[in-house]
Amino acid sequence: MPRTIARIALLALTLAAPALAQSYPPDGPNIPVIANTESAAGAFGQPLAAPPPPKAWDRESLWNMKVEGFNDNQGRPIYQPLVVDQSGRELLYLGNLAGDMLNPLTGKVESNGTSIIDVTDVHHPKFLFHIPGPPGNVGNAGAQMVRVCSGDVLPHGEKGKWYLLRAFGNAGPDESHQLWDVTNPAAPTFISTIVSGLSNTHKSWWECDTGIAYLVGGSKADGWHQSGTAQHLKIYDLSDPRKPVYIRDFGLVGQEPAADIKTTHSCTSNPGPNCYEGAKNPPAGVHGPISMGPKVNRVYLPYGVGRDGVIQIVDRQKLLTGCTLPTASPHCATNPTQAELLYPQVGVIAMNPENGGHSSMPVLGVPMPQTQAHFANGSPQKKDLLIVSSEDTANNCFGQAPHDAWILDITDDATPWPIATLTVPQEPGDFCEKGARFGAHAVSEAIYPPYYGKIIGISWFNAGARIWDIRDAENPRPIAYFIQAPNKNTVASCATIHGVATCHNATMNDYVEFDDRGYIYAADRAGSGVTILSLTGDALKVVTPPATPQRH
Amino acid sequence: MPRKVFAALAGATFVALAPVAAYCAGDAPSAAAAVDVQSLAKVVPGHTSKAGITALFGKPWRVLQFNDCGEAMDDQADETWEYRGRDSSGSYRLHIEFSDDGTVHLIAKIPDNSPGGEGTAAKVAPSAPMPGMSM
Repeated sequence: MPRTIARIALLALTLAAPALAQSYPPDGPNIPVIANTESAAGAFGQPLAAPPPPKAWDRESLWNMKVEGFNDNQGRPIYQPLVVDQSGRELLYLGNLAGDMLNPLTGKVESNGTSIIDVTDVHHPKFLFHIPGPPGNVGNAGAQMVRVCSGDVLPHGEKGKWYLLRAFGNAGPDESHQLWDVTNPAAPTFISTIVSGLSNTHKSWWECDTGIAYLVGGSKADGWHQSGTAQHLKIYDLSDPRKPVYIRDFGLVGQEPAADIKTTHSCTSNPGPNCYEGAKNPPAGVHGPISMGPKVNRVYLPYGVGRDGVIQIVDRQKLLTGCTLPTASPHCATNPTQAELLYPQVGVIAMNPENGGHSSMPVLGVPMPQTQAHFANGSPQKKDLLIVSSEDTANNCFGQAPHDAWILDITDDATPWPIATLTVPQEPGDFCEKGARFGAHAVSEAIYPPYYGKIIGISWFNAGARIWDIRDAENPRPIAYFIQAPNKNTVASCATIHGVATCHNATMNDYVEFDDRGYIYAADRAGSGVTILSLTGDALKVVTPPATPQRH
Repeated sequence: MPRKVFAALAGATFVALAPVAAYCAGDAPSAAAAVDVQSLAKVVPGHTSKAGITALFGKPWRVLQFNDCGEAMDDQADETWEYRGRDSSGSYRLHIEFSDDGTVHLIAKIPDNSPGGEGTAAKVAPSAPMPGMSM
């Protein structure tokens, strides 16, 4: 009976959100309208149960979630999952970290690349194809990032076609970004290399309705300055996937090739020519942008990954057209002046050196339950939010401060300001002794119903996929988690602490993502596969539309 | 520590860890090499190369590399090779991490049913660059 209720609730979720994901970024210009479903008491009107202790380290632990399906991804370690409603099928694209593994479909050992899994029937996911990654030195390999657009949506795409954008290689002498035709997901075909000769690639964003692609990459030869990873934005027009058009490079002030990093100074303490943004000179590289498209006209950029972070919000139109202005310098696209980098900048906030910008996910128009009346102008208040995470990079919590996530109020996006912290306590669970990493990683990126503005998912490595109720954004509530048990494909995580080397079989949730049916995908970085989940119990109530919305 | 003494200690460790090593195809999703006691004893962290490992064990069951974000994750040990095997205690993986110079940085024989908690002891090169950051 409970299973029947859960299915009915899931069906209600889908019916309540008939608009397809293709209406929203990155596929369309609309932003999901978020209805207030709480009383004025907000989180304090909800049950405030603390997360229950997880089970033993080698066992699966679930809280308000249920396992619906699983695929082992051929034992390849996953970086990023992307779920696409593709011509009536739900397809899961997985960007994999570097390595080599047998592909049972071909009988060949293949360099880890991009996996394509049909998850239309979540109970029986079907592995369709693996597009290999770069051959050769595994240290340069992997294809961690993936985006997909429909030719029906791209302005100059071929109708009926589907296109895949991916990083090809991670860090090496000749990394690139590629386009593939995935119209037949069981037999993808290579289209073109957009840009090569990069020394780093990372997480890109592709606006399907305009074709604008914000590629993350860089090369040590391009002259840009970054602490840590050598990567900034390389913006292309891929509205016709067969004819990529370069637009410009972009980064933080202090990263431009013309910056004299030996004499540059902090823009915060000493603004003016030749300064750098944030706490680190030169500023750390960008991780992964999110554009909300031409309607919202904002691009959100996290820099630093796990340290020396800066979060930047830019005006999309100014970003794309700044170097076409009559006043633009001759080399604005590749070697902009400080003024040309500042021109599209709307807001910026520096993090402390212990934290970096890994994800910055905009959640716009969230009704604030406690300010639905009698505040500000007397009208019901909504806020624009940015969910920011900093990536933990140490095993066993050794040598690093804890890495968390935060909710920033960007209603005035010139002055982003944190209003809440999303954290997972080390206890119960003894996560620092469990092995592998413990801390925040990535924020879910689904800008479509049924979950947008209601819940957010954040991967927390060995503490699993964690879900928060963010309807009362100043008082977010943890409501669900899933911690995968190690399996035969889980690569051990080893650490040497005070001279003692130890290895643990521990899973590491790398990304948690939602599809437009309400299923949740927990992708494992340690090679343990991808688990498909649904919400149950109190977590399901959070996302189930009430019979009568409670407005006050 | 003199090289010969270190090698002897490493060998003794793996003799103790791997009483009856034998390949069991049923546990492996791909072809894997047999792992035997004598071969394990020949692996010396800090000295044995990738070629040496291949000569001892053949091609690995799986190769992994977690160079995500490049320098943003300084000092994480890089390439990892895994072999599968089975002994009287059950199935296990031989886990070998390499330093950037291509020599073994860390080696461990890890039971698939490792209970967690205490984890599994590993042998690590004496000049490990940064403690606590290997992956």
